[in-house]
Amino acid sequence: MSAGDPRRQQGAGWLFVTPAIVILGLFLVLPIGMALWVSLSDWAGRGSPFSGDVAFVGLDNYSALLAEPGLARQDLMLSFRNTFYYVVGVVPLQTVLALSLAVLLNNQFLKGRTFFRTAFYFPSVVSSVAISLLFLFLFAGGGAINNVLGWFGLNGPNWFQDPRGLIHLLGDGLGVWSTSSPPGWLTDPTVLGLSPWEWVAGPSVALSAIMLQVIWTTAGTFMLMFLAALQDLPTEVEEAAFVDGANKWQRFRNVTVPHLRPTILLVVTLGFIGTWQVFDQMYVMTQGGPAKTTLTPAYLSYQTAFDTGRWGQGAAIAFILFALIFALTTLQRWILRDKDEPRTSRFSRRRRRRRTTVQDETQTQAQTSGRLS
Amino acid sequence: MKRTPRLFAIAAIGSLTLTACGGSGFEDSGGGEAGDSEAPASAEGPAELTMLIASSGDAETEAVEEAAAEWAEESGNQVEVRVAADMNQELAQGFAGGNPPDIFYLDAAQLAQQASTGNLYAYEATDNDDFYPSLRETFTWDDTQWCAPKDFSTLALQINTAAWEEAGLTDEDIPTTYDELSSVAEQLTEGDQVGLVLSPGIDRAGVFVVGNGGWWLNDEGTEPTGTSEEVLAGLQYLQDNMAEGHVAYAGSVDAGWGGEAFGTGRAAMTIEGNWIRGAMSNDYPDVDYTVVEVPEGPAGPGTLLFSQCWGVAAASDAQAQAVELINHLTDPEQQMEFADAFGVMPSRQSVAGEYEEAYPEDAPFIAGGDYGHGPVNAPGMTPVVEDLNSQLEGITNADLQQVMESFDTNASSALDQ
Amino acid sequence: MSTTTRSRSATSPSTSGPVGTRRRRGGQAVFYVLLVFFALLYTYPFVIQLVTAFKTNPDATNNALSLVPDPVTTDAWVRLFDSDYPTWFLNSTIVTLCVTAGRVFFCSLAGYALARLRFTGRGALFTGLLAILAVPGIVLLIPKFLVLNYLGIYNTYPALFVPLMVDAAGIFIMKQFFETIPVSVEEAARIDGASVFRTFWSVVLPMARPALITITILSFQGSWNELGHFIIATNDPGLYTLTRGVAGFTTGGLGSGNQYPISMAAALLMTIPTALVFIVFQRYFTQGANAGAEKG
Repeated sequence: MSAGDPRRQQGAGWLFVTPAIVILGLFLVLPIGMALWVSLSDWAGRGSPFSGDVAFVGLDNYSALLAEPGLARQDLMLSFRNTFYYVVGVVPLQTVLALSLAVLLNNQFLKGRTFFRTAFYFPSVVSSVAISLLFLFLFAGGGAINNVLGWFGLNGPNWFQDPRGLIHLLGDGLGVWSTSSPPGWLTDPTVLGLSPWEWVAGPSVALSAIMLQVIWTTAGTFMLMFLAALQDLPTEVEEAAFVDGANKWQRFRNVTVPHLRPTILLVVTLGFIGTWQVFDQMYVMTQGGPAKTTLTPAYLSYQTAFDTGRWGQGAAIAFILFALIFALTTLQRWILRDKDEPRTSRFSRRRRRRRTTVQDETQTQAQTSGRLS
Repeated sequence: MKRTPRLFAIAAIGSLTLTACGGSGFEDSGGGEAGDSEAPASAEGPAELTMLIASSGDAETEAVEEAAAEWAEESGNQVEVRVAADMNQELAQGFAGGNPPDIFYLDAAQLAQQASTGNLYAYEATDNDDFYPSLRETFTWDDTQWCAPKDFSTLALQINTAAWEEAGLTDEDIPTTYDELSSVAEQLTEGDQVGLVLSPGIDRAGVFVVGNGGWWLNDEGTEPTGTSEEVLAGLQYLQDNMAEGHVAYAGSVDAGWGGEAFGTGRAAMTIEGNWIRGAMSNDYPDVDYTVVEVPEGPAGPGTLLFSQCWGVAAASDAQAQAVELINHLTDPEQQMEFADAFGVMPSRQSVAGEYEEAYPEDAPFIAGGDYGHGPVNAPGMTPVVEDLNSQLEGITNADLQQVMESFDTNASSALDQ
Repeated sequence: MSTTTRSRSATSPSTSGPVGTRRRRGGQAVFYVLLVFFALLYTYPFVIQLVTAFKTNPDATNNALSLVPDPVTTDAWVRLFDSDYPTWFLNSTIVTLCVTAGRVFFCSLAGYALARLRFTGRGALFTGLLAILAVPGIVLLIPKFLVLNYLGIYNTYPALFVPLMVDAAGIFIMKQFFETIPVSVEEAARIDGASVFRTFWSVVLPMARPALITITILSFQGSWNELGHFIIATNDPGLYTLTRGVAGFTTGGLGSGNQYPISMAAALLMTIPTALVFIVFQRYFTQGANAGAEKG
């Protein structure tokens, strides 16, 4: 019997995948099942969650988090609000920064490209813990960042202690409202446990510092993706545009950006999936503070279970976050697909193939980048 | 050859189902239900104890290790001292995993929560009455004193000597009332320097609540009293002074906590506990300062008291040995050794005299032991207190009535459960 | 996978043409100013980190930006080596080696089976794999803790690395790569009567070197930098990895005061292995980041 024998392939096939099935089954599938049970129980973190003392409470944990007015729902909504601003700030900025860096590096006269590429990419391979310690120091009240701001006569905030929301501050600066006495129409009534005033706060100064850190760190990875795509840009196309008399900016907008479209989509999708999961920075730097403005669903889930012993609720938050990320990525994929549909030109087949790759790729990258960032 | 793969597949699936049914990592260790009078679990032969501590630094770690090793050698047992990076979380993981440390530092704010979940073994150390009554009270829940107080700290007022003299103030001017505090704070506010800077949140704002005779919960810890006149008056005092600009939170003067603001000179005064000494000599060795008691409020002297006790796990199988070790650690002589090593204040009244003699500059902290108020001590209150804390971090713009109403609502629902 | 730099023709737009020389110079100046700005933005923090590790506590707190420690001291380093840091470093090394070895072997086995071997349930397994890829890692913290406890391996070495030893993304990358290797290669081996494993091990695997290096780098980086899993897998400082132990510096592990020098030293030292691997495998890192992006 040789390797070509189908029966041997049958056996070997299963043999080859067995270790993967066992490990993924034990540490991925089984845990999800157990956590689902815990999220439906009142287990308080003592003894086995399957012992007779633990009661089935149905959807109580979920309804406390989503339906009933109270602290649990308020905290979850705060974490959603924070993460929303975080995502809306980080994803576009890191994409633009990554693209800018890539375009800079793509200049063919650049000397020492390797050095610059290394410098820009390096932070994204460094542990988030090490980077967080560094940024805690840089953004400290009397730290390096504020010293630099001082050169320009600016009095920097005490970043990680400052709970003031940027939109609040902006409105205050423009005279739209005063943060010390918010307009009445914004303080009442509450929506899902938070007043409109709280919903529109914007990212706090503390959260913004974390956002800056994440943008700085992850842009490198995405820069490499853009760089690879830029180097694939057919020179002929560029030349044709050049002959047409297009200036640099026009060439960039009309030739380069369309060519980069699949990469941009990939980068944005990866950004979305990564940002909704943010946890490390909160664990190391702020523990959700000041004034809960850096609380994120992932950290809240952890804190609820491990710090305050409400395991059922913590597990429920994890499932809600899972559902949310899943819904958002599906939605995003659907929107992107929709936009591609009208272009059923002769390229359609190639495009479709490209798209599937991008999607598969998206998932792979989501896994890896989740760990990288 | 043909069969092997199928066997493998079966084995793989089998191992999944097996582990799903027969897993036994969680130990359902019995005993330790609230306040029962069961005999302590005693290890046969020499016990191997694990102790989890939240250390303030190398000095504390070394002193505790040394004391534990002393006992271990005398008694023939073994003790392993571990330093926690995040105490609450590591304890929670220990309890949930069925392998908690035998002995651990337990913060007063965590007591009710842990006791009500059944995680604690209640015991009394030798000569229990010698501990300060306020401390014993702090570690009592459901009419049971659960553990022996380890040490305590209180808040006092620190004054920067240079700033004080520069503003033309003398010893006569040391504030003894809230009005005087406001007035000196105002005089000390100049340029970059703010008169009084506080670490943000409930653990400083609470001082003024206590000084006004209020507290977040009633004495029994059964009902919230957040909207009471006294509580609101205390918070109002703080908010008013902040609005006038001579009191501020550390965050608004580029500092992480009161001690940092005090060290960098952005604060002329701060209200911190005795831990500030270590930080000052470490980071800002050149700053001269004096410590006085927190001024009296309208309802008399009031400050906050923080304490930890030596908790023993209900799941420990060497409770008898654990208590023996605690007896050694809370021995008056040993308490004084700890005080010398890392500057904590002994929890036994019999050591107070000796301590004050050795550390006269700590007298204002010791004095706080008589009237200091311990933290909120009721099960399920942790998230509620945390929420209030985060609200009070933003006290400058807060609608106090509204903040305290929401606290009362949240506290009521937590206490009812 | 390819990162070929296309050689550009001499008529490339920015070298010649109607754009005036002065304007081009202006553009060049802006270009270099931007480049230097970004380069500073990306390198300066690490310089500050290095310098601060040799400062005293008060010096670090009060002169954050100064590049000259005054006085120079190695106190932070001495304290660091007196602490559990060396243990954590060792743990991180062991865990990273085990995880990487496991991933390279198991992921290529499974990836090969899914790409080349015909067996019942292959399609279903692949669908399952895609489903697993969609699970965001961070929601598994509580679940994994429960299972580690349940299996009785909480607070043990295996708890640190076994759950990380297979990675769905790794299987996916390997499968994609194996599909690009021509079948004819295996056929030769088959004619010789080699067993399936032998064909895989001595014929196919050596050809997958680029993909294997990608997996190695990804799992090195992934496990060296992992934090969440190590938080929930142990609470014994003897089993802490670098990320877990050093993260504790900010939550009270160091005691009072700022203590920036020691935390900078700790962060710097844990970055060095990453930097070394990065420099040696720089070329492949680029490929890793773009893994599969060029395929399709």
